[in-house]
Amino acid sequence: MTTARLARAGRALLPRVLAIALLTGAWQLLVVIGVQSPTGVPLPGPGDAVGAMADLTRQGLLLPALLNTITRAATGYALALVIGTIIGAAVARVPLLRSAVGSLLAGLQALPSVVWVPIAALFLVAGGHDENAMYFVVVMGAFPSIAMGVMSSYDNIPPLTFRLARSLGAKGPQLYRHFIFSALLPGYVAGMKQAWAFSWRSLMAAELIIGSLAGAGLGTLLDNGRALLDLPEMFAAVLTILIVGIAVDDVIFSPVERALLRRRGLLAA
Amino acid sequence: MNLALRARPRLLVAEEADEVAVRLAGVTKVYGKGRGSVTALDDVSLDVGKGEFVCILGASGCGKSTLLSLIAGLDRATAGRIDTPVAHPAVMFQEPGLLPWLTVRRNVELPLRLRHSADGERRVIVNRLLAMVKLIDFADSRPHELSGGMRQRAALARALAQDSQLLLMDEPFAALDAITRDSLHDDLTRIWGDCGNTIIFVTHNVREAVRLADRVVLMTSRPGRVGRIWDVDIPRPRTLDSADVAALATEITATLRLEVSSDDR
Ligand SMILES: Nc1ncnc2c1ncn2[C@@H]1O[C@H](COP(=O)(O)OP(=O)(O)OP(=O)(O)O)[C@@H](O)[C@H]1O
Ligand SMILES: [Mg+2]
Repeated sequence: MTTARLARAGRALLPRVLAIALLTGAWQLLVVIGVQSPTGVPLPGPGDAVGAMADLTRQGLLLPALLNTITRAATGYALALVIGTIIGAAVARVPLLRSAVGSLLAGLQALPSVVWVPIAALFLVAGGHDENAMYFVVVMGAFPSIAMGVMSSYDNIPPLTFRLARSLGAKGPQLYRHFIFSALLPGYVAGMKQAWAFSWRSLMAAELIIGSLAGAGLGTLLDNGRALLDLPEMFAAVLTILIVGIAVDDVIFSPVERALLRRRGLLAA
Repeated sequence: MNLALRARPRLLVAEEADEVAVRLAGVTKVYGKGRGSVTALDDVSLDVGKGEFVCILGASGCGKSTLLSLIAGLDRATAGRIDTPVAHPAVMFQEPGLLPWLTVRRNVELPLRLRHSADGERRVIVNRLLAMVKLIDFADSRPHELSGGMRQRAALARALAQDSQLLLMDEPFAALDAITRDSLHDDLTRIWGDCGNTIIFVTHNVREAVRLADRVVLMTSRPGRVGRIWDVDIPRPRTLDSADVAALATEITATLRLEVSSDDR
């Protein structure tokens, strides 16, 4: 039983390991053929990047930066979740609001949230609220996905579900608890997953451009590397950003989403 | 007819409501507006007595499901009146309509949960219903893991769990094999005899209608109207292949055939 499960996990992991090996190999190849920047700085290889990660960790720079960034991301994401859920629910249920802001939401979702960075920098950072500036950018990046997730999954509830609820006499809180919430869940989680990708992206842009007095983040690390022409440090920062982004999706969102879909028979076994 | 009904003295209406489970008076249902509109029902009037078992037959698309959803209060009639003293008729829809996120047991329990019935009582009722529809072994399965007929049986158990005085069933046994269907006919007849509820049952199977019903209503199509009505005086218990059932079924089928072919013109 356990060996079978291990074997299954191994089979699932194997393609990923292969893909990573392939990419690392391609990267190493670029280094071997001597790719360098126009100013003559050689491209660091995967080994250099991992070495730089180790150095940064030893110097006590990487972990605090990681912690700062993750705290910011989590706070901003939580805010976006609350705001997006409220707005999504309101837009889904109130026809007037829907015609007023429904298409605006879709537009906001497509808008790259980097565009908010200069504005946030001007209004909030200049006022001494640099953390707030980052939250603002993250929220603007993430909340439309959440709101759209709520709205579109509400629209996709089959009419039969509402007819059943009515024929069973479910109204108000019962209607929500036993029918609407559960019916919304897969679409909501899909929205949350997308919102995470957007908030992580937005936060990196904000950290890179705004920086922070309250504490360096991964974006700041990347910017420092650029300022010092320390390419291995830059690559170390990029790798860390990539790994966190993937890990959060892999550990939190994807398993929840898959479990939900599998339970409803919406996923090929 | 409409006016006459409303003009009656209150007392009489109340007295009559005691015997009538559903009263349809001049019910018309038009879907859509203008040129693309469809008249699904046209001036349908029908009284269903309390405790009566009525089967509705009619060609596909003649408005049977529409009629049930109007009686259930899930849709509004374009004209006419529908009176029923039952606040929430139990409905078994043409599609099973099980909630995909709940197990079979949870689906069947749902009406009881919504009524806040006690845990112990709920278990007893649900186990009895699951045993009746032979789904005990699948109590913890999800709807997508069931066959079409199993889903229908689960939906039947849920409708019965609602324990309503009025049960509306839309082709409930369409996806079942003959043996299972026959045993559910027995169960349904027994439950109906025990609790004296009113059942309106839509089917395409004429023998099934004759085996179950006190009255068989044949609907005409385009627009949907009440065509002929047969009183079924065959004593119970009946079986599908008894001579009396077969004879009446043959007569009804002949009329139905005329009806359906005239519809093709
Ligand atoms: N929501 C709807 N919008 C528009 N037209 C509808 C709608 N529901 C039903 N109709 C039309 O009303 C007519 C009656 O439909 P209904 O579903 O009541 O038929 P039925 O007698 O139940 O048929 P079947 O035996 O095939 O289930 C059909 O012509 C159908 O096209
Ligand atoms: Mg129908």
